[in-house]
Amino acid sequence: MIETKLGDFEEVILLLVGILGTEAYAFKIAEEFETQTERSVSIGAVHSTLTRLGDKGFLESKMGDASAERGGRRKRIYEITASGKRALENSRDFKVSLWNQFPAFANKLNFNI
Amino acid sequence: MHSPPSFAQKLLEWLIKDELAEEVLGDLDEKYYYSLKNKSATRAKLNYWHQVFNYLRPFALKNYRSNSKSTTMYKHNLKIAYRHLLKNRGYSFINIFSLTVGIAACMAIYLFIMDETSFDSMHSKKDHIYRLDEIQNFTGTKEQKVALSMPGMGPNMLSDFPEVINYTRFHQRGKRLLSNDEISHTVEKTFNVDSTFLKIFDFPLVSGDRETALNEPNTVLLTEETALKFFDNLEEAQGSSIKMGDNLLKITGILEDVPETSHMQFNVLFSMTTVTSENPDFNDQWGSNFLNTYLLLEDNVNADALEAKLDDFLVRHMGENSEDREVLDYYQLFLQPLAEVHLNSSDIEHDYNNYRKFNGQYIDTFAMVGIFILIIASINFMNLSTARASQRWKEVGVRKAVGAQKIQLFNQFILESILLALLALVLAFAINILAIPWLNDAINRKLTMWFFIDQPQYLAIIFSITLGVGLLTGLYPSLYLTAFKAINILKGNKQSGNKSVFRSALVVLQFGLALAMIVSTLIVLNQLNYMKNKDVGFDKDQIVLIGMNGEVNEKFELIKSELLDLTSIAGVTASGQRLGNNFHQWGFKVKTDTGVFQMTPSNVFVEYDYLDVYNIKVKEGRSFSKEYSTDEGMAYIINEKLVKELGLKDPIGTPAGHGWYPDDSLGSIIGVTEDFNFNSLHHKVNTLSMVVHSDWGFDEMSVKIKGDDPQAAIAQIENVWDRHIKDWPFDYMFLDEHFATLYQSDNQMSAVVSIMTVLAILIACMGLFGLSSIMVMQKIKEVGIRKVLGANAFQITFLLSRNFLLLVVLAFIIASPITYYLLNDWLQNFAFHVDINFVIFIVGALISLAIALVTIGYHTIKASYRNPVEALRYE
Repeated sequence: MIETKLGDFEEVILLLVGILGTEAYAFKIAEEFETQTERSVSIGAVHSTLTRLGDKGFLESKMGDASAERGGRRKRIYEITASGKRALENSRDFKVSLWNQFPAFANKLNFNI
Repeated sequence: MHSPPSFAQKLLEWLIKDELAEEVLGDLDEKYYYSLKNKSATRAKLNYWHQVFNYLRPFALKNYRSNSKSTTMYKHNLKIAYRHLLKNRGYSFINIFSLTVGIAACMAIYLFIMDETSFDSMHSKKDHIYRLDEIQNFTGTKEQKVALSMPGMGPNMLSDFPEVINYTRFHQRGKRLLSNDEISHTVEKTFNVDSTFLKIFDFPLVSGDRETALNEPNTVLLTEETALKFFDNLEEAQGSSIKMGDNLLKITGILEDVPETSHMQFNVLFSMTTVTSENPDFNDQWGSNFLNTYLLLEDNVNADALEAKLDDFLVRHMGENSEDREVLDYYQLFLQPLAEVHLNSSDIEHDYNNYRKFNGQYIDTFAMVGIFILIIASINFMNLSTARASQRWKEVGVRKAVGAQKIQLFNQFILESILLALLALVLAFAINILAIPWLNDAINRKLTMWFFIDQPQYLAIIFSITLGVGLLTGLYPSLYLTAFKAINILKGNKQSGNKSVFRSALVVLQFGLALAMIVSTLIVLNQLNYMKNKDVGFDKDQIVLIGMNGEVNEKFELIKSELLDLTSIAGVTASGQRLGNNFHQWGFKVKTDTGVFQMTPSNVFVEYDYLDVYNIKVKEGRSFSKEYSTDEGMAYIINEKLVKELGLKDPIGTPAGHGWYPDDSLGSIIGVTEDFNFNSLHHKVNTLSMVVHSDWGFDEMSVKIKGDDPQAAIAQIENVWDRHIKDWPFDYMFLDEHFATLYQSDNQMSAVVSIMTVLAILIACMGLFGLSSIMVMQKIKEVGIRKVLGANAFQITFLLSRNFLLLVVLAFIIASPITYYLLNDWLQNFAFHVDINFVIFIVGALISLAIALVTIGYHTIKASYRNPVEALRYE
């Protein structure tokens, strides 16, 4: 059975893919992760997660352009699928619902959605 | 511009899936160039490697079988092996312990051999350095090889032969008194050497210039240890001067202390130019041999070819003319490679500068003993594993039934045996760390297990040998076990597992080796005991030897008379040379009715009381006496051997003298002694002439002490000494200590062989113990039935022991002739040796038989007294 829940790291990666748009390939995603979170990550770890997200059907990928600093090699560009978007939304809704049930914060927070 | 590390790229390409290679390598390249912008190239490269290692994940790897755990089977096998070890603690102990002892013994022997063979290997030109030795053949004395050569030989070889690049002489100057202001010490092992010494040998200098250090007259090199006796530090010593007698010598260099594994051992090197500048003829001096010469040859020179030219060389320099080849009747020269000096000089006499000289043949003996022990230990393993096979039939049967392939079973059993071998290796290491210091004491070596840490390549060798032993010993049991037919096992048909010819053959081999070692030990000990106790013809106990110089010689009579007044002193005498070595040989002539006849016996000059103090028996004539004025230099006492060689019917009164005395002014022979062994027992008794020459200056005083407190006697001697002697230290040694060093090689060999024999017997017995217990277990029902039918305990014991005893007897029959042959060969090293008595073989056989009986007795007797009901009950 294929796991369809999103892990924390998976969720961040999935979001980054969405943010980067046409520039979403392993190296860029890893870079973006490091800038945004200030945590270091290896490209291998990101690639592994991307592959897993692909297996779950949350991502699609196709080969993109080559460039000189890649030694003339092409890159693999990732794109979120519809079910990937749905998974992200479910995850967000679930958390918002949890936040809203938290008495200290309930209705005091403004989630602009 | 820097590019990513290509090896890392290759590695990654090789490891990850082909379809991922392009994008991954591209990403990593981009990452690399990105890092380069704000990091150093090294950091970027390191980061590249970091990224590569982070790609070693299941999703990216080639050949990754995601749902198979390849280690499961190994884990299972390990667990089974472990459980078997615990289940059969007794057998496991025997197996591991015997292999441990075997490996530990081999390791110790290996260390010993490495230590001996590492002698003189520190010199970079070692393959081209030769020592010049002589074969001397004088009338009246046996042909002998000697390590000595003449001063003229080295320089003339350099000028005569282009293939000789260089030479150095090494001239022993004995113990010297050196002083620096107030500090004075006598220093032993001082030598004169040529300025080329440091160019031929690589003894390192702490300070000084090795090219020029010994060029000037009156220069000297000291070792660190020696220099620090006179100076506070080495910097101060370098360039300072040191006094020897009236000569002021300049210290032009400090040598590192000479390593233990050098056959040359020295504390001080004087420049030979000190001698040659005053006496240039020294470089062309022929006739007497008193120093060592070393030659450095061209790279591609055949030493044999050079040797062939040396006859002509001798004729050219020592003959009257080119036709006069008489010199060759007395002298021949040969070149001994540096590598052979330490281990292959046991037949060379007058070899004074050969530290820890060792008989190289013993190296082979040791290697053989090591291999024997390993074989005996391995056999235990093979025998016990196969004999216990019956306990694992079911395991094999079940495994086969559920689909184990032969190769899998085979792997399992081999793995088990390799694991045991490795465990034994680790234990052997631990044992040796404790045992090596003890062994060092027994054989006077400085072996250390650090050797393996310092030189891991040898550790690798030991490791591979252990793996090999594990593999080889595991091979037979594994094949034996995997060959069972599953259907037969599961049907309950017993295999004929207890009648193995192969196993019996191994026991025969094991006991044959053990027997050979027992008999050898007995004979070696016998021979050493014989040498220790043989009547050598003079007293060597309770004799104290004290070195003498000119001052002591002057005051000898005074000291002697004062010493003789002491109650603890039985006699005092002196001589030019010490007993236990061959004496110097020079010409001796007698005048008979048929003319003057010349010979070259061994000679020693002695003091009047020499024969009395040493209790040397005079057979004919009289001993030396001060009452005859001619006894000083003109009276000779010779041994029976020389009488025989000279063919004298009535030797007493025969005119005789040193070779250089004119024919018309000879002295006479005044006495004949019995043949006593003045040389070591490796050698026959040579012809000997003794004479008194008080004016020649004795080398050593011999004081015979009495009473049972030698230390008190020595204190008294020292007291007398201190009152009279100012400049020469009181340095003494016991004569029997000196004799002990003569047989050092032999004693050490016997110590090692004895230790190894005990280990071999121990291991063999443990094997037999295990084997007999298995056999008894297998025959337990037979024993039960026999007892029910009326057999008594003795009959049962006999029945159970019979097979083993047969094997021991068979081992005896096979091993005896081989052992006899080898031992006989060894005994030929000694001119005086015991005969191999067949009784020793019988004793050896009885010992091994007794050991075997006692070993298996525990099980057989226990079995024979068992209540048969216990054995038969559950049928």
